[in-house]
Amino acid sequence: MAGIIDSYIPVAIILVVAIIMPFITMFIVNVLSPRSSGETKFDTYESGSDPTGEARIQFKVEYYLYAISFVIFDVAVLFMFPWSVVFVGYDIAALLTIELLIFITVLLFGFVYLWKKEGLQWEK
Amino acid sequence: MEDILLLAPEIILAVTALVVLVAGLYLKTEHKVALGFISVAGIIMAIALTMSIMLAKTSASMFYDTMVIDPLSQVFKLVFLSVALLVSIASVKYVSEDRNTEEFFALLLLAIIGMMVVSSSNDLITLFLGFELAGLATYALVGFEKKNIKVLEASMKYFIIGAVSSAFLLFGMSYVYGMTGTTNIPGIAANAHLLVDNPIGIVAIVMLIAGFGYKMSLVPFHMWAPDTYQGAPSVISALLAGASKKMGFIAAFKVIIVALIALNAEWQTIFAVLAVITMTLGNVVALSQDSVKRMLAYSSVAQAGYISMAFVVLTPTALAGGILYILSHAFMKAGAFIAVAIVGFMILVGNKDARDTDHIDNFRGLSKRMPITAFALMVFLLALAGIPATAGFVSKFVLFSSTIEAGLVWLAVIAILNSAISLFYYARVIKYMYFMPTEGGRITEPAPYAIAMILALVAVLVIGIWPEPFIYWASEAANVLLI
Repeated sequence: MAGIIDSYIPVAIILVVAIIMPFITMFIVNVLSPRSSGETKFDTYESGSDPTGEARIQFKVEYYLYAISFVIFDVAVLFMFPWSVVFVGYDIAALLTIELLIFITVLLFGFVYLWKKEGLQWEK
Repeated sequence: MEDILLLAPEIILAVTALVVLVAGLYLKTEHKVALGFISVAGIIMAIALTMSIMLAKTSASMFYDTMVIDPLSQVFKLVFLSVALLVSIASVKYVSEDRNTEEFFALLLLAIIGMMVVSSSNDLITLFLGFELAGLATYALVGFEKKNIKVLEASMKYFIIGAVSSAFLLFGMSYVYGMTGTTNIPGIAANAHLLVDNPIGIVAIVMLIAGFGYKMSLVPFHMWAPDTYQGAPSVISALLAGASKKMGFIAAFKVIIVALIALNAEWQTIFAVLAVITMTLGNVVALSQDSVKRMLAYSSVAQAGYISMAFVVLTPTALAGGILYILSHAFMKAGAFIAVAIVGFMILVGNKDARDTDHIDNFRGLSKRMPITAFALMVFLLALAGIPATAGFVSKFVLFSSTIEAGLVWLAVIAILNSAISLFYYARVIKYMYFMPTEGGRITEPAPYAIAMILALVAVLVIGIWPEPFIYWASEAANVLLI
């Protein structure tokens, strides 16, 4: 038990440093930095163009559908990597190919579903 | 290759789910009622296969010992599949004329596959996977009426609490793996002393009890159940109370009993207190509910208390009683929620914008308006209270008598007193249905709802009148746990 706790001492030191560090930095900045106040100081872009409209806008949820549909292919590739490496030398290539094809077919159902439900249509 | 045929029920359900999902994309909304029939056919096939595997008394382990087929897993699979059958028959009406029918049935089937995986799992990782599959599908099902604000609230609560319980579960499992060096459940059983002798092991067991306790709705973890059962569509409440809750029990049976047998008497008291608090709180709070669904939800919490008496007693008879109780409760509660769904339908026929269709005032004079539903609901409620000639009596009898046999008379007395309390709020609904006047005229039950309800009614009465085969299979299943 003591051994485990000892090995965590460096982590504890880093933790303490990480907690203290921001306060020290803020304090030093506070002491050293020059100050000037003006209207432009509180603009979003002090040296850029004036911002227009609200920051809290709604943007289209379609983007997330694209991101989620990407997961279909992500998962396919994720399983193909170990599939192609692990079974080297087992001499069951035909069986493995069929199994992967079944797997990909099942995943493709998800893609067909997305397509038919108009998930890939940007403008509705 | 032969082994994989033992998973044929799951495979059939998965194929049915995909077929339903894709066929729904090409069907017009008015033809989508066919999807319900496809799902029902798939579930009936799965039930037949599961029964044939069970009756052959097959025992097997597959996929590197991560899944097992034994009487225990088959009995629970039958519980899940029967509830799925009732729910999907009733849903033929509930989702008719909805353009998202295919999602509903596909999610329902996937949820059942998840529960079946849990009942077959022999490894913590498989168990967790099944838990999450069932969980994610039911979160979406609870929120199926996405325009209805109450449904959304129920779904959000269920989702957040479900996510927290998954976190507890996974945390507990990681500790168990850290202590025993394996995720295989028999392997953990063999190394249970490593778990029990260590404070971290105790933390792990507490985490697991909390994680499963959420799904079982044992008392400190029950807060989500009334809100979710009340807000969710009634057919989905039937699924949650009838099947999803039982998934927590089979998982707890598989994992926690292993630890409990090693822990011996010290923890018996803790579980006894948990059971007593659960049944008492559930029954007492149910007394003052005006929403019938909320009342059924609290009664469901109380029933979880009775079932968890099996964890305290831990004799073969008690476990058989617990399993029998789970089987009967699945039919009683699913039937009762379907009956409430029919009443909801009746109210909505009269007034399209009606709110709180499950309020007890809507049950006034139901025996005049819908005699079949009123009679069936009366039987379900009496069964839940434990009146003889129903499934509720038989299972309570086996469970309570085993408790007395084991010398825990005080626990049995509290449980019986609780049953007496519960009769009050069940009888209140019966009074409203049979002895209160009503203005409304007679309405015929839609066929799908009526078929599902009558199937549940037949099951409740058959278990009540001819319980031998059910007790036999419950004890076969219990024997698996104690070897």
